[in-house]
Amino acid sequence: MTVRHVRMRWLVITLAALLITTPALYAADQQQLLIYHWWTAGGERQAMQVIFDWFTKKNPNTKIVDNPVAGGGGITLKTVLLGMLAAKIPPDTFQSLSGAELKQYVDGNYVAPVDDVWKAQNLDANYPTVIGKMTTFKGSHYGIPMNAHRANWLFYNTKLFNELKLTPPTTVDEMIAAAKRIKSSKPNVAPIAIGTREKWPAVFLFDVTLLSTGGPDAYEKFYTGQLNVKTAPEVRTALQKFKELIPYLYQFHGAKTWSDIAGPMAEGQMGMMVIGDFAAGLLVQAGYKEGVDWDAVGFPKKPQEVFLMIVDTFVRPAGAKHPEATTAWLTNLTDPKVQGEFNIIKGSIAIHKAVPDTTYPDRLHQEASRTFKSKRIVPSSIHGVLAPPAFLSDWQDILTRFLYSPDVNRALDEITSAMDLDKVSESSGWYWAK
Amino acid sequence: MAYTRAHALLFLAPLLLIVLLMYGMMAWTVAVSMDDWVGMAPVWKFHGLGNFRTLLGGALRERLFTSLRNNLIWLVVFIAPTASLGLFLAYGLDLVGRAERVLRPLFLYPIALSFVVTGTLWAWMYDPDAGVINNLLRMIGLGRWAQPWIADPGLATFCLIGAAVWQYTGFAMTLYLAAIRDMPREIFEAARVDGASDVQTFRHVVIPNVGHATMIVVAMLILVTLKVFDLVWVMTFGGPGISTEVLPFFMFVATFRQQFIGIGAAISVLILILAVAVVVPYAWWSMRRLQA
Repeated sequence: MTVRHVRMRWLVITLAALLITTPALYAADQQQLLIYHWWTAGGERQAMQVIFDWFTKKNPNTKIVDNPVAGGGGITLKTVLLGMLAAKIPPDTFQSLSGAELKQYVDGNYVAPVDDVWKAQNLDANYPTVIGKMTTFKGSHYGIPMNAHRANWLFYNTKLFNELKLTPPTTVDEMIAAAKRIKSSKPNVAPIAIGTREKWPAVFLFDVTLLSTGGPDAYEKFYTGQLNVKTAPEVRTALQKFKELIPYLYQFHGAKTWSDIAGPMAEGQMGMMVIGDFAAGLLVQAGYKEGVDWDAVGFPKKPQEVFLMIVDTFVRPAGAKHPEATTAWLTNLTDPKVQGEFNIIKGSIAIHKAVPDTTYPDRLHQEASRTFKSKRIVPSSIHGVLAPPAFLSDWQDILTRFLYSPDVNRALDEITSAMDLDKVSESSGWYWAK
Repeated sequence: MAYTRAHALLFLAPLLLIVLLMYGMMAWTVAVSMDDWVGMAPVWKFHGLGNFRTLLGGALRERLFTSLRNNLIWLVVFIAPTASLGLFLAYGLDLVGRAERVLRPLFLYPIALSFVVTGTLWAWMYDPDAGVINNLLRMIGLGRWAQPWIADPGLATFCLIGAAVWQYTGFAMTLYLAAIRDMPREIFEAARVDGASDVQTFRHVVIPNVGHATMIVVAMLILVTLKVFDLVWVMTFGGPGISTEVLPFFMFVATFRQQFIGIGAAISVLILILAVAVVVPYAWWSMRRLQA
C-alpha cells in the first residue's frame, strides 16, 4: 500500500466519523422544539412569528423547528398528526382547539397533563373559569390556550344601514325585519351574505339563531346531546326561524366561500353577515374601513348577549423528545405580553385577564375583549370546540342540505340519527362534569 | 458471469417487498373494516360485519347510496365524452400536420395541472355571479341559460364531471395518438386512393384499429371515476348538502374528520370490491373481443 493510499484511507475514515458524530454533537449542544400548527395565512404567520421571537429571546439555546400545515381549523393538520401520533413519533408540541377536539387526543392517550404549567402560572386565577373547564379531562388540564375568537358577530354594510335608517338587529326577528326592508327597497342587494361552499358558515348562522330563540342554556344542551331533539321545542323553533331566513340569503351561497362574500358585503352588494371576528382582518386588509364601509355588533343581544368562543390551544404530547422545550413553550404562551402582541396581529383576543382592552387598536377587538371579561362565555360548536367533531361534520351537511330543502321534520330526524351515531351525549360528559 | 436462481431472487426481492406491503395493507384494511375502531388510537374490538351493516342498512345507508349513485353517474357520464373527445383530437392532430407541434402541448397542458388547481379554476368559472361561463352566456344573449352550476344540488356533480373531462381529454388523446401513429401508413394511403373522405377514414379505418387503446383508456378512466376525490374536495366539499359526495370523499370524511376508522375502512373495502367488479369483467370482455 502506498503512502497515498494510507492517507486516503485515513481521510475517508475521519470524514465518516465526522459525518456520524456531527449531528449528535450538534443536537446535544442545541435544544430543539418541534412544533406543528395550522397558522399559515398572511397575518397568522406573522402573529406566530411574534411568539417565536419571544420564545427565542427567553430560550436562546432552543431551536424552533417549525412545521406549519395549511387548512383552516386544522383539518389537514389533524390528518398529519393522526399518523405521527399512532407511529409514536410525536412532535414537542402541536396546536388543537380546547374542548371536544382536545378530548380526542386525551382519549387516545396522546397528550400529557400540563397541570405543572397551569399551577405555576396561576391560570385558575388568570384565565376565565370556562377555559379551565374546557381543558380539563379526567381531573387534569391537558392544554394551554392563548387566544379566543368570537364567533357571534353580525357584520353589516354601514352605508346601506345609514341610507335605510336601519339600526343593527339585536335578535333574529329584527334581523329578518331588516332583511325585509333591504329586499323591498333594494331588490339587487342580497340582504344576508353567506357562503356555504365550505359548509361551516351555515353553522355560524344557525348558532346565532339558536342563541336568539333558545338562549345560551339551550345552546349548550343541544350541542352536548342533552336535549331530546324531537320532543324538546328549542331545536324545532330554531330550525323554523332558520327557515325564515332562507329567502333573504344570498342566493348562490353554495358557490362561494365566506371570504368571497366579505368584500361584496363591504361594497354594498350584500347587507349583513354572521361570521367570526377573523372576517375583520380580511376586510381591513382588503382596504375596507371599520365604521365607514362596515361595522360589526355582537349578536344576538337578546335574550342574553354572550361571547361565543373558539379557543386555540397548544398541548404537551405524551413522550415528546424535548420535554424542557415543551414546558418553556407552554409557559411562554401564558405571558400576557406575548398574548397581547400576538393577538393584535392574529385578530383574536388574549385570554389572560391582565391584558387590557385598550391593547387592541380597533373597536371590534376592544369590544370583544370587554365582552370576554364581562359577559357569559359560551364555547362555540364550530370546529369541534363544544360538539364532538364527528357530529359537527354531519351537522354542517344537515344544515347546508336544509338551506336547499328546508324540511324541519327531516332535519330533526337527521340530527337525531347523527347524534346517536356520533355518540354526542356520551362523549360530552366532560362539559357537565363538576 | 452466469445468472443463477439466487440472482433472480435477489432482483425480485424489492418487487416482492412492494407486493407484500401493498397486499399486506389491503389485508390490514379488511381487518380494520371488521373492527369497532372509533377515535384516534387503535381499538381492536372485533365487530364482524357491523360496519358494513351500518353502511348498507343502518344509519349511513342514505349517505352511502348517495355516494355510490354519484360514482355511477361519474362512470356513465365521464368516460364516453373523455374517450371520444380524446379520439377526435388525436385524429385531428394526425391530420393537421405540422401544427400538431403547437396544438399537442396545448391539449396536454391540463393533465400537467394538479386537481387542486383545476378545481379552483373551474370553481371560479362556474361562479354564478362573476364566473366566466354565465358571463359569456349573458354576453352572447343566452342569459336565460345561465345556471347556478355548482350551487345547484342537481347540477353540481355534472359540473365536477365537466372539469374532469377537461383535465383528462389530453390523456385520452395521447394514448389514441400513439395508437393511430402505430397503424401502418399504407392503410391510410389505401383509403385515400379509394377516395375515402377524412370522416369515412375515421369511421372505417381509425375506429376499428384503436381497440387496444380504447381498452386501456376506458380501464384507466374507470379507475379515475372510482377514486375521484380532489375535485370534489376543492370545488364543492361534497355539497350542497351531500349531493356531490363520492365514495372516496365519504371514506375520507368518515375516517379522518369523524374518526370512524372502522367504518372508513369498510368504505375502502367497498371501493375495492367495486373496482374489481367493474375493471376485471371489462378487461376480460375487451381482451376476448380483441382476440376474436
